[in-house]
Amino acid sequence: MANESTLALPAEQVETVTLTVNGRQITAPKGTNVLQAALNNGIKIPSFCWHPKLKSVGSCRMCYIEVEGVPKLLVSCCTPVAEGMVVHTESDLVRQGRKAVIEFTLINHPLDCPTCDKGGECDLQDLTFAHGFDDSRFAFQKYRFVEEGSSSSFDDHRIGPEIILNRNRCILCYKCVRANKEAFGEYDLGVYERGNIAEINAAPGEQVDNPYSGNLVEICPVGALTNTDWRYKIRVWLTQQDDSVSIFESSGINIRFWKERQKNHIYRVTARPNDAIDDGWLADVTRYGYQIATSPHRLKTPLIRKDGKQVEASWDEALELIAKRFRSVCDSQGAVCVGGIVAPWQDNGALMRFNALFRKHLKSNNVDFRTDYKNLPSTPTSDFSLLASQPFRIAQIDSSDVILTFGSDLLREHRNEYLRARKAMTFNDAQVIVAGPYATKHADISSAELVYAPGSEEAAIGALGMAAIELGVATDTGFSESFGNRSLADLCSVAGLESDDVRAAARTLATAERPSVIVGELITRSPARDGIAKALNNLDRLLGLSTKGQVAALAAYANSRGAERLGLLPQPADATRAQLTALFGGLSEHDGLTTDQMLQAMTRNEFNACFVLGADPVQTYPDRSFVEEALGKVEFLVVADTFESETTEVADVVLPLSTWAESTGDFVNLEGTVQTARETIRPMHQSKPASEIIDRIAALVTGSDADTTVDIDDAIRALLAVAPAASWAEKYRPVTLPNPEANESNVIALYVGDDPHHLSHLTQHASSLMNFVGEAYAEISSDLAARLSVGSGDTVRLEHGSAKIILAVRISEHLDSDVVLVPRNFASAAVTGLQSRSARVDRVKISRVEG
Amino acid sequence: MHYSPVITNADQAIKSDKLHLFRYVEDPNQKQIDTYMTHGGYTAWKKVLNDMSPEAVTGEVKESGLRGRGGAGFPTGVKWGFVPKDSTKPRYLICNADESEPGTCKDRVLMERDPHGMIEGMAIASFAIKSNLMFCYIRGEFGECIRATEAAMHEAYDKGMLGKNIMGTGYDLDMVIHTGGGAYICGEETALLNSLEGERGMSRVKPPFPAVEGLYACPTIVNNVETLAAVPFIVNNGAAWYKSMGTEKSAGTKLFSLTGHINRPGNFEVELGMPLKDMIYSPEFGNGIPDGKKLKAVIPGGASTPYLTPEQVETVLLDYESMEEHGSMLGSGAIIVLNEDTCIIWSIYKLIHFFRHESCGKCTPCREGTGWLEQIIKSILDGKGKPGDIERIEDLCENILGRTICPLGDAAVMPIQSAVKHFRGEWEFAIEHGRPMVKTDFAFT
Amino acid sequence: MILTDESVKAMKEAVGRYPKKKSAILPCLTIAHRQIGHLNDDIYREIARAVNIPYVEIAEAATFYTFFPKQPVGKHHIQVCHNISCALVGADGLCSYLEEKLGIRKGETTPDKEFSLVSVECLGSCATAPMMQVGDDFYENLNRAKVDEILSELKEKT
Repeated sequence: MANESTLALPAEQVETVTLTVNGRQITAPKGTNVLQAALNNGIKIPSFCWHPKLKSVGSCRMCYIEVEGVPKLLVSCCTPVAEGMVVHTESDLVRQGRKAVIEFTLINHPLDCPTCDKGGECDLQDLTFAHGFDDSRFAFQKYRFVEEGSSSSFDDHRIGPEIILNRNRCILCYKCVRANKEAFGEYDLGVYERGNIAEINAAPGEQVDNPYSGNLVEICPVGALTNTDWRYKIRVWLTQQDDSVSIFESSGINIRFWKERQKNHIYRVTARPNDAIDDGWLADVTRYGYQIATSPHRLKTPLIRKDGKQVEASWDEALELIAKRFRSVCDSQGAVCVGGIVAPWQDNGALMRFNALFRKHLKSNNVDFRTDYKNLPSTPTSDFSLLASQPFRIAQIDSSDVILTFGSDLLREHRNEYLRARKAMTFNDAQVIVAGPYATKHADISSAELVYAPGSEEAAIGALGMAAIELGVATDTGFSESFGNRSLADLCSVAGLESDDVRAAARTLATAERPSVIVGELITRSPARDGIAKALNNLDRLLGLSTKGQVAALAAYANSRGAERLGLLPQPADATRAQLTALFGGLSEHDGLTTDQMLQAMTRNEFNACFVLGADPVQTYPDRSFVEEALGKVEFLVVADTFESETTEVADVVLPLSTWAESTGDFVNLEGTVQTARETIRPMHQSKPASEIIDRIAALVTGSDADTTVDIDDAIRALLAVAPAASWAEKYRPVTLPNPEANESNVIALYVGDDPHHLSHLTQHASSLMNFVGEAYAEISSDLAARLSVGSGDTVRLEHGSAKIILAVRISEHLDSDVVLVPRNFASAAVTGLQSRSARVDRVKISRVEG
Repeated sequence: MHYSPVITNADQAIKSDKLHLFRYVEDPNQKQIDTYMTHGGYTAWKKVLNDMSPEAVTGEVKESGLRGRGGAGFPTGVKWGFVPKDSTKPRYLICNADESEPGTCKDRVLMERDPHGMIEGMAIASFAIKSNLMFCYIRGEFGECIRATEAAMHEAYDKGMLGKNIMGTGYDLDMVIHTGGGAYICGEETALLNSLEGERGMSRVKPPFPAVEGLYACPTIVNNVETLAAVPFIVNNGAAWYKSMGTEKSAGTKLFSLTGHINRPGNFEVELGMPLKDMIYSPEFGNGIPDGKKLKAVIPGGASTPYLTPEQVETVLLDYESMEEHGSMLGSGAIIVLNEDTCIIWSIYKLIHFFRHESCGKCTPCREGTGWLEQIIKSILDGKGKPGDIERIEDLCENILGRTICPLGDAAVMPIQSAVKHFRGEWEFAIEHGRPMVKTDFAFT
Repeated sequence: MILTDESVKAMKEAVGRYPKKKSAILPCLTIAHRQIGHLNDDIYREIARAVNIPYVEIAEAATFYTFFPKQPVGKHHIQVCHNISCALVGADGLCSYLEEKLGIRKGETTPDKEFSLVSVECLGSCATAPMMQVGDDFYENLNRAKVDEILSELKEKT
């Protein structure tokens, strides 16, 4: 199952041509190069510099072909297919040409294969065996780059937190620099000098530490770039591979685990290219995040609090205690006093079981997967949830002519879709409009950038619509009325935007033929998200955006979409609720409580037993002191997680939870595609997968050995099949414009997001990722830094009420307004303490720390 | 500083109704717009703007038989015709003034002494391809050329020859002078485009050709200074006039830089088809080889063209087809004369050292092959050659020729192949005896 | 700051001349070279900031081109063409003569920082060979006497 209604793609006739390769007729779309066309038909032409997702440059010359009627060898990566073309990839001339290229490539390449960690998976080694000479005819000293101060004779040197460069091994295919700039938009790696002394290296004085840096190693055809995560730990031929998906990205990035079965150890993660989803690029979080499974710091046994102290216990003891306490609370205080909070990166099986445990066995509707959002409404069908359930295809970003990101710091939120937007711009000249409360990095690909005043989203949307109407590129069928007939000038003034900028963006958006609108986390996490969704509904209604293309608020986590569809919400949408009722043989009558409501009830001593699965609300939920108070008061707190956390610290029972690498489970990605992650290693220590833990608790709670009343797989299938409500953009909805807030001096908007290398309370246990991240920081514009008289590395104090934190300053290359960005999930800097659970925009006082 | 003291044959040109490029290059005021206009300058530009369509201009140039004077010799009008008619993108005209082919110093004379001729030619070419922005890419070392071209450009703007609504015709044309940073490869048109875009000056795979996807992926025409300088004359005097000069396939006149062992080194404009021998020995041109030395070889078209032997020099003509028949190329018109005292291996080492230094490093055969060849040739020159080296050189040349992205690879190996072929005995001698047959330096007195 | 306000202004003007900003990289390098006489990482960084182009792009381009020295050079930076046309008429000897006169080897700078000497590829003065370029100026048709004269003139200028 899986995909939601397929989007209607415009009926594009892809013109194809027929050619002959090695005597075989093949067809390929016009514009394809011969190398790709041959590969698609199972004919592999060797190459070093070609990459399917980068522009062809024809530099390595390995992919020679002979084309009948052309006297010279051609490079297949740069030769477009043509009707009737007759190609030979294995003729004598081709073989001779290839052999010569291998010979040239090797003359300055060290013969250090036995000690090179690339051995066994080195393109140069493999192709030399296949096509090269047995002996070298080069009788001179090889050119050598000497690493000064290097203690090894290998001339290795570190150019990034995880990357080691050996310039002598580099064959100058330029794939790494090309990918870095062209695909990732990063500028920390370059090529210097020219000719045969040209070299790849980090930008002088800088580190290659961009969020995609691991890909540079993966695409290196030789041992010039290796990463510290993998090198010299195991030989590649001693490993086995398993297919899986990432739990660190909502896109469901396809990955491959490299493990050693007997040692029950994972050594690395590489891409498993899936064009529909990831194009074969992995963000570093996904590449190195697997280290949470192999970390030595995992929780190893269950713990039970006895006399105020957590002590090791057996699984039986822990689970029996849990069942007993939950039962007794339900019996004495009622099922409304128990509930569960589950992290949205648990697999479908775990989520479904969690749902059944509470809704069916304990008769409580108190379940929620939103572990780090502000206080959200509990109503079943909100405007926002409609927006969030709109069909969306990642691959369609590529072919969009206009991409609007609204309220999204795309690189921090959706690293994969960020690359897709870049790709659309690079390959299809797509226009990118970036609208948000602060300037983001991806503004560098934008044709229009609208930085609206924090908290003025509805006005910014209204302005876009009014500008389109004013320009005559949209017909006002009720839009202006829905915005209270406010003028463009008026809306612009509320949003703090220049009307000319808005007009330019509106024209682009309104005349788009195939737009993609990505609504980001800055909206998703906002308590005002329903109002903003209304405004977006109206803009879509006016411009027909979702009819021509796609509009959606993208899911945040690896299985947020699954959690929503499986009804892990206190009040699921009507259709889901109906399905749950049928599956569970009726639901308890009471309205379920949201995460926030559960915490509130705890503070009032009205909530007595809570099961937190895989989440760390103390660190991630806004208003830290409130959360601490709530969890301190709850009578019985069970936390299952992989590591000790600030939440496990206050728990009465702690259960060691396996990671996704240690069990098989399905995940629903942001576009609704269900993908399977298979067990690749056995559960480490005494940890258990969530499904097994919940099954055992359910059995104890119900008193039967196994739950036979609900077939979990059937239930999942039934719930995922529920069609999302379809009333988006069908009519205009009245929008209430926010009142602009008075701004005190030195009080600025605080935005809490993710560092691209550190996404959850788990990633702090992936040591490679921590090599990138360092300490928590406050990112501010150079302007603000100048006014505060601080530079990079100086410290500032952020205050809100009585809460304050001190952070190192990081001066942003793109911020140009008075906001401060602080990453979450840093135990050392509890930024959630500065957040309010209800304020639309968090505001903090910022000041310089002397000395 | 004023311009180069190089000898020209302006005295012949001023008396000729055919020779035209050098007609006024000995007039120190020619670089000023008033003098230029007194000499008929910008009349072609006026004619084009007022009386001609872009298609007609292209047609006239096509008809004239003018071929690219930078080295490749591609028909200029045909190249202009490659700009897609229906393209809505901006188009660009680029004057390639990155003169750096060893032995070549002709464009420099035009820029230093008659910059308006180039600018007028650029303007007409821009009009022909419907471009509103033209660039002049001058090599950065040419300080005087840059100064002269800048001054001329400002004059042209002031006189209304460039800018908005030129001469009230509604045609807009702007000019940007872009100076290089020391890279021979940037004279190759795709590398020039990358350089102009701020990239490293590395060549691009063709197709797409610049006329379709050039600067900023827009249709772009790149022409050499000398090529463009001929255009106003073709417009003024007609294609038939131009075609009446030279040979059937090599119409018009061409500038030749005569250098090396020659009594009268200089730059000379002659009709194509003249015997090379006359260029070397005629008193009005080279006036023979100093000290009565005998000729050993001639590199006829710049450092990237195959060597000619004295026997070939007897019969070869200065035109595209005769050069090809003799196994060489007209190239940029840089005739380098080597006397009997010249060590062929030494001369080849000078060239391969250059090409290795100038290889951009993008494609493997050129990047690695030029370096390898340089090392072998140097070892032979140093008396450390080994049996088999000659065959290895030949083999490496085969593996580079026609296998690289741009012509630099070919340019590097063609002189070597010819020098090995024609002077094999000298290579064999050096390997066998552990020293070159002839001395390898020339006195500086 | 190493770059003067005037240089920064000229760089910003250069950006305005091109349809795409990155095209201004070579002009910016030229401006910096004219002001400072050489280029290095610190200067690339300043250029990058002045015209808002990624620093690595400046460094990549700059190191590709050999006209810009990457180390400080003498006040009079002498570049002798050593290519074929010049070599045939004594360019190698010219180089040795300069080494002798200046008391430095190719690639070096005199202790008083007045002169530096390098040999370079063809400078397009092949019919007026041998030749050398000092700063922006070409000196052609050289012989020993002329070199003596030029060096003493240059010394006077200092």
